[in-house]
Amino acid sequence: MQLEFKKVYPVFSWSWDIPGDDDADREIGDEDLCGICRVSYNGTCPGCKYPGDNCPLVIGECNHNFHVHCIQQWLATPTAKGLCPMCRQQFSLKRGVAINEGQVEKLANLLLQPRPAALAADDQDMMMDQEFAVR
Amino acid sequence: MASLPKRIIKETERLVSDPVPGITAQPHEDNLRYFQVTIEGPQQSPYESGVFQLELFLPDDYPMEAPKVRFLTKIYHPNIDRLGRICLDVLKTNWSPALQIRTVLLSVQALLASPNPNDPLANDVAEDWIRNEDAAIAKAREWTQLYAK
Repeated sequence: MQLEFKKVYPVFSWSWDIPGDDDADREIGDEDLCGICRVSYNGTCPGCKYPGDNCPLVIGECNHNFHVHCIQQWLATPTAKGLCPMCRQQFSLKRGVAINEGQVEKLANLLLQPRPAALAADDQDMMMDQEFAVR
Repeated sequence: MASLPKRIIKETERLVSDPVPGITAQPHEDNLRYFQVTIEGPQQSPYESGVFQLELFLPDDYPMEAPKVRFLTKIYHPNIDRLGRICLDVLKTNWSPALQIRTVLLSVQALLASPNPNDPLANDVAEDWIRNEDAAIAKAREWTQLYAK
């Protein structure tokens, strides 16, 4: 039998490279959701439409992960007192982790800035567990 | 009206599909951020066998801001005043967006099980409580019989 390829549709999937994510002790369920908006890490915060670089994930020194927009919005509230929502330790970005690069300055400047207006609550966060088809 | 954030939809669904024992929370038809809540008085507390009505409202900034919770049923408790307002740290200074409707309501239920007259909201009740705890507990039980049905 001879096969002839007419067309090829490569399909790629992606996910954030979270250190320690392969650990066997990882619990199923809540573990893959942003602790603030409860949307998958690979999805977006409620204010964003496209996941990925436009709505990055960050990892705290305490090993709790959030969409950068979610944790920024939280840290900008007076109630936050700079604390991680999950463990109430002072929140800071974990050093030497690839996905935190580029976010460090944003978060460092945060407490100096006035609180941003609430994000528009669009129903645009329907894109969970994306798979991008490339044609 | 702005659409409801996905987190609120998920929480509401889970409150229905996997309810917390002794607690119900139902969103209002016209306003899905407004919940009618019932909490059963914890066993071995003065509120035992009572069913308390509460209202819970999710402000626009939720989950960055705590839900607003208030007792509608009259209750004799040192941390709940006569308007039904609740003195509970997680509803104010210790709020965290990792908390949810269900965890907040569990905290309220736990507050019924362990009144704290040293951090009062209803000063007169707290004074009674400290002065004569047995009498205060009897009165709380009496009010439960009278109002929390």
